[in-house]
Amino acid sequence: MKKIIAMLLVLVMALGLVACGGGSDEKVELKVIAAQYGGKTAEWWVGFEKDFEAANGNIDLVVDVVSWNDIYTVVNTRISNNDAPDILNIDVFADYQADGLLLPAEDYVSDETYAKFYPAFLDQSVVDGTVWAIPDLASARALYYNADILAAAGVEVPTTWAELKDVCEAIKAYDANIYPWGVDMTTDEGQACFAYYAWTNGGGFVDASGNWTLNSAENVEAANYILGLVADGLTNTNPATETRYDLQEMFAAGKLAMMIGPNQISSYVASTENPINFGIASIPANEGKSTSSVGVMDRFMVFDNEHSDAEMEAITKFFDFFYEDKRYSDWVIMEDFLPATSAGGQIMAEADPAAAAWIEIVGSAQFYPAAKAEWADVKQGVINVLQQGLLGQDVQGLLDALQADIAG
Amino acid sequence: MKKALTPKEIFSRTMLYLVVSLICIFILYPYFVMVCTSLKSRSEIFSMNSTVLPIKPMWENFLEIWKRAPMGTYMLNSILIATGSSLIAMLCGIPAAYALARMKFKGQTAFLGFIIVSQMFAPVVLLIGIYKVMSTLHMSNSIIGLIFINAAFNQAFTIWLLRGTFMSISEEMEQAAKIDGCNRMQSMFKVLLPMAAPGIVTTLIFIFINAWNEYTVALCLISTDTFKPLTVGINIFNGYNIIEWQYLFAASLFAIIPVLIMFMSIEKNLTSGLTAGGVKG
Amino acid sequence: MSKKTSAANKSPLLRRAEPYLWIAPSIILMTIFIIIPIFTVFRMAFSEVSKTGRIRGFAGFANFLNVMDNPEFSKVLSNTVVWTILVVVLSTVLGFILALLLNNKFKGRKIARAIVVFPWATTLVIQASAWKFIINKDYGALNALLKTMGLIQTNIDWTPTPEAFFAWEIACGIFVTIPFVCFTVLSGLQSIDDSYYEAATVDGAGYFQKLFNITLPLVKNSLTVATVLNIIYVFNSFPIVWTMTKGDPAYQTDTLVTYLYKLAFYNGKQGEAAAVSVIGFTILLICASVYMVSTLKKGDE
Repeated sequence: MKKIIAMLLVLVMALGLVACGGGSDEKVELKVIAAQYGGKTAEWWVGFEKDFEAANGNIDLVVDVVSWNDIYTVVNTRISNNDAPDILNIDVFADYQADGLLLPAEDYVSDETYAKFYPAFLDQSVVDGTVWAIPDLASARALYYNADILAAAGVEVPTTWAELKDVCEAIKAYDANIYPWGVDMTTDEGQACFAYYAWTNGGGFVDASGNWTLNSAENVEAANYILGLVADGLTNTNPATETRYDLQEMFAAGKLAMMIGPNQISSYVASTENPINFGIASIPANEGKSTSSVGVMDRFMVFDNEHSDAEMEAITKFFDFFYEDKRYSDWVIMEDFLPATSAGGQIMAEADPAAAAWIEIVGSAQFYPAAKAEWADVKQGVINVLQQGLLGQDVQGLLDALQADIAG
Repeated sequence: MKKALTPKEIFSRTMLYLVVSLICIFILYPYFVMVCTSLKSRSEIFSMNSTVLPIKPMWENFLEIWKRAPMGTYMLNSILIATGSSLIAMLCGIPAAYALARMKFKGQTAFLGFIIVSQMFAPVVLLIGIYKVMSTLHMSNSIIGLIFINAAFNQAFTIWLLRGTFMSISEEMEQAAKIDGCNRMQSMFKVLLPMAAPGIVTTLIFIFINAWNEYTVALCLISTDTFKPLTVGINIFNGYNIIEWQYLFAASLFAIIPVLIMFMSIEKNLTSGLTAGGVKG
Repeated sequence: MSKKTSAANKSPLLRRAEPYLWIAPSIILMTIFIIIPIFTVFRMAFSEVSKTGRIRGFAGFANFLNVMDNPEFSKVLSNTVVWTILVVVLSTVLGFILALLLNNKFKGRKIARAIVVFPWATTLVIQASAWKFIINKDYGALNALLKTMGLIQTNIDWTPTPEAFFAWEIACGIFVTIPFVCFTVLSGLQSIDDSYYEAATVDGAGYFQKLFNITLPLVKNSLTVATVLNIIYVFNSFPIVWTMTKGDPAYQTDTLVTYLYKLAFYNGKQGEAAAVSVIGFTILLICASVYMVSTLKKGDE
């Protein structure tokens, strides 16, 4: 037993040394948390770290790649402990900004890099006239349909809600084992479901002057429309627990005829063994209303960690390096997203004509009002409304209550 | 000399085997599913007419995880964390359990209560506080930090179970040892601990497995890839647009092996120990 | 002999301090790594906390009142109670029976015991993912199995209602908790001397008489400890519900821990999340005190 204790002590000390080792250099250290978009993200950042440090001998770059499942937990834990990263890559920014934790983009982005972004994308990160975050990439949603199933059922691609319902019924009549329409109302992304129908019915989260309009007549009609499709058995079985991953897999397997999904589905389906024959179209809109795509955009932001001049310089260098046209477009293409810079867009459009169409779609897409401080509550709120609706509650009453809760 | 079994004994034997086999099949079923899934291609997993067994087993999935992630490093970290936590938890827990079982002191009940109370918050809830402690001690993003956390989380079970074990062992043998000139320490090491082997082994298994499976704290404390344990590391197969079930399951199956080896190697102590130690009377 | 005299010569102070020295390492370990973080939780529960987790000032009971105002809170609370009772009771009964079986000497016992370790040796996140995978209607392994065996023709929806989903989560919880109970009981069973049973057999006692008169009283100690800790662990269990449903739909499958996780990390209400955990703590504390007062004192005398 004494031996064991002695060994233990050695072990503890050795581990202690490992824990305390390093960190005596005069280097500038930059801590980055990056979101894990795919299986190759982590590997790409390792390469980036190497290249960046080779080009900037005095900077020590530490990139922590975190999966989307866990990134809010990790980031919030660190921020609560005043240990925010220097640079963060995530989707939301308004809460951090509201707490005065962020630096304005103009403080750290060089003019040259700043000029590269699509202005419409930068607008999504404006609070009180200041840009607080810069876009890293985007994706857009459109209607994906299985062309073979539609042809076999003898129907055309729907463009209106009424047509969509007819097409769904035709598909169900053709083969009851196929789900006509994919719906995801989960905590994961139920707010997207709400947006698809609200925006194609002229409704939405906010009005033109930015006031919350959650219980508008258009929104109520939209929510009731999609809940009606579920109730009529025209969708996947469990919209409250089936995530977009499930939908995507079912679509690729030919089990789901149509769904609204991100541009990545194309390459995902293409990578399967027996790719289905699919097409892409605009999201169906209600009679007399115009269609709209849902854009999703992620961001980089810099936390105000009382940086020294050398550190600020290092951050500027980081972004200059990251957004170098070739490196940046390689990254976006590797991650299978859409670029946030015009040069990136050009490179991508030249490489792939299909991408050009998507870049156009994202250009006209609507985005979530993520710059508003109440957004996190609204997001959870509309998801809850849809799920309560699934359980048979009255949508109008639920949205009224949510509106009262949010807008006071 | 084996006696011939009576019909009644044969029946109860058969029933025993039957029931145990059924339970084993039931327990193994999810693992059977995991093995089958890990050997399928992605398209096959979600195909319209999914089969139970993979049509063409893709053994390369098991190789692929090694190419895609530093599995060896993750595993080594997990082993370090689980072993280290077990040792520290024992080192702190055995004396405490001994004091509770063999000594009388003021605050004994309070201490037992304190231990239980310390368990009443989920690790998820404590994350922010733990992170703060770890940063203060310069232990965030280190394996040693995780070792201490897991050791602390497992103190309650360690102390309570060992206390019960120690108390069920008669003090006579230790007193005899004392008369032979052993002090407290010696009598504990030479007499009590060997007799308490089953309890100690159960406790060890418990801590090891808990530390091996710990996820939430490791996730928030460790930011450097080379310090990540398996549970956190295999998240690499859990992407933004795709969850690669075949790799996730392959990696998880692989993570069971060390636990099994550990278990098999100390399992025999579960059966020996006390009865061999001679507490009769 | 010299050692014995030195022990006897210890000063009374040292003698009185000795037990505390023995428990000191454990106390230090738990205080630093658990008790201090618990204080942080209490502080947050009574503070106004910004969305990013910065403490902005004292809030009194505001967080608690906000939480209790939420219409879903009572559902979440009753879910937690149902979840805890069902998982603990069923896993204890089943784990106990399994331990009795595995305590018999038979060929392959070592393998059987190793198999029982399996559910324990797998991370809960993965375990729960596997279950979700099994019961999925469309590509689930269970439907595939039943189809192959010719028992069903079309896929069955195993989770038609939120209650059904919650039942599966409870089943998964039981499944992963059985090994814990089983091995705790097993270690208690090992310490029972065969001579007790032999004597009882001579006296003509049947199997169940022996079970209730000898086995149960002797493993009671380790079983009660395991059960109390089990109640706490199950009450606070997070990964199963989170992986399988995240509490969807509309909090119907949430327990306190998944609910507060959403509050803290999805809604940015860390103060309210801390309040929920303090409420959970209070419930557990009351239950544990009842146990402490009744069982513990009796047992120690």
